[in-house]
Amino acid sequence: MAIPHPRDIQVAVVDWLDERYPFTKAVDEALYQRVPNYANAFYYCFGGMVFILIVFQLLTGVLLSFYYVPDASSPSGGGAAPAYNSVNFIQNTVYLGWLIRGVHFWSANLLIIMVLIHMARVYWTGSYRAPRELNWMVGVLMLLIILVLSLTGYLLPWDTKAYFATEVTIKIAGSAPPQQLGMFIKEVLQGGPVVGPATLQRFFTLHVFVLPALIVLLMYVHFRFIRAHGISEPL
Amino acid sequence: MAEAAAPRRVTRRTFLAWWMAALLTATVVTGLAPILVYFWPAPPKGQKKGLITISMEKSIDQLEEGTAAPILAPTTPNSAFIMADGGGDNAPGDLAFGAFVIKNQGKVEVFAQNCSHLGCSVAFNKDAKTLDCPCHGSRFNLDGSVHHGPASVPLSHLTWKQGDKPNEIQVDGIILGF
Repeated sequence: MAIPHPRDIQVAVVDWLDERYPFTKAVDEALYQRVPNYANAFYYCFGGMVFILIVFQLLTGVLLSFYYVPDASSPSGGGAAPAYNSVNFIQNTVYLGWLIRGVHFWSANLLIIMVLIHMARVYWTGSYRAPRELNWMVGVLMLLIILVLSLTGYLLPWDTKAYFATEVTIKIAGSAPPQQLGMFIKEVLQGGPVVGPATLQRFFTLHVFVLPALIVLLMYVHFRFIRAHGISEPL
Repeated sequence: MAEAAAPRRVTRRTFLAWWMAALLTATVVTGLAPILVYFWPAPPKGQKKGLITISMEKSIDQLEEGTAAPILAPTTPNSAFIMADGGGDNAPGDLAFGAFVIKNQGKVEVFAQNCSHLGCSVAFNKDAKTLDCPCHGSRFNLDGSVHHGPASVPLSHLTWKQGDKPNEIQVDGIILGF
């Protein structure tokens, strides 16, 4: 019996799927678009790099959530809070936990740099101009969400640095005028009179559920706009 | 006329295609393997197997014939007993959080409290001198053998030895580390 070519197997699988749903048509429509020659420059890849880093963040974030415990309450017998212990456990005991956490941490740092570089490119090539102003605004909104993701993620290890850095950040947010508004922001962020277990719970929920959902939604909108307008011409 | 050459079973193109498919598979596996390794449960720090010392109300010598004294694995630190044998729902190496020290026909044995049917905790029936399961009605004799189903295999033994004090026994167990 002759050994089949891998393409034959691939075609058989794709045909089987296509008989049940037009996957090929959907993929063709999504992927097979002509890229203009002027976009064949390395600086047009920054947005794609941002996308890859966000995917890294989502993937490693889900993996970390398998072990992370968002509990900052003090154990009755003394000792560190479960949140701190769980991060310590991920970092030092879980197999390759250091790698997953390291990728999450460093990708987060790199992500902010890449977003800024991408935005600089968009600004430099004038890609924010009509009719793409709305997409620029969506991008700016995504930058803000990424910054809030970084802020909320910073508290999760629940170590001294995280605690006091967050306390300072909340204090800055709470200094917004008028005083009543500042106090309101501070109380809402803290979930109480001081940075404590309620703060961690709020930051965790924002970091893991609310903000990732928002950023995925905005990424979809961002890509739809790009597809609608096409890649912008150089100045 | 020369005979036509037989078609080659594996052409160079097919070989290269399979080679590329293997490379692609290896790349995917390399990416996924660390994630699978990450999911493998790591033993908590402080987890340690060894003998667990249990203090009983009476010494082994004072145990009355045909009685079962319940013992529990300590909770500080959180510990469990390790089954030495087993069948049905139990297996050697499975954990038990309670056990019975039983004196039967002059012989002292320690059995895990887990019913071999579906793992419920059995209780000592003083009148019938049996260990009865409250879930599905299985009953076990004091030597661990099945007295009445639905369980079909005996209770699991625990490995034990006399402790330093007369009322202490040391049972094979594990400090869970959490």
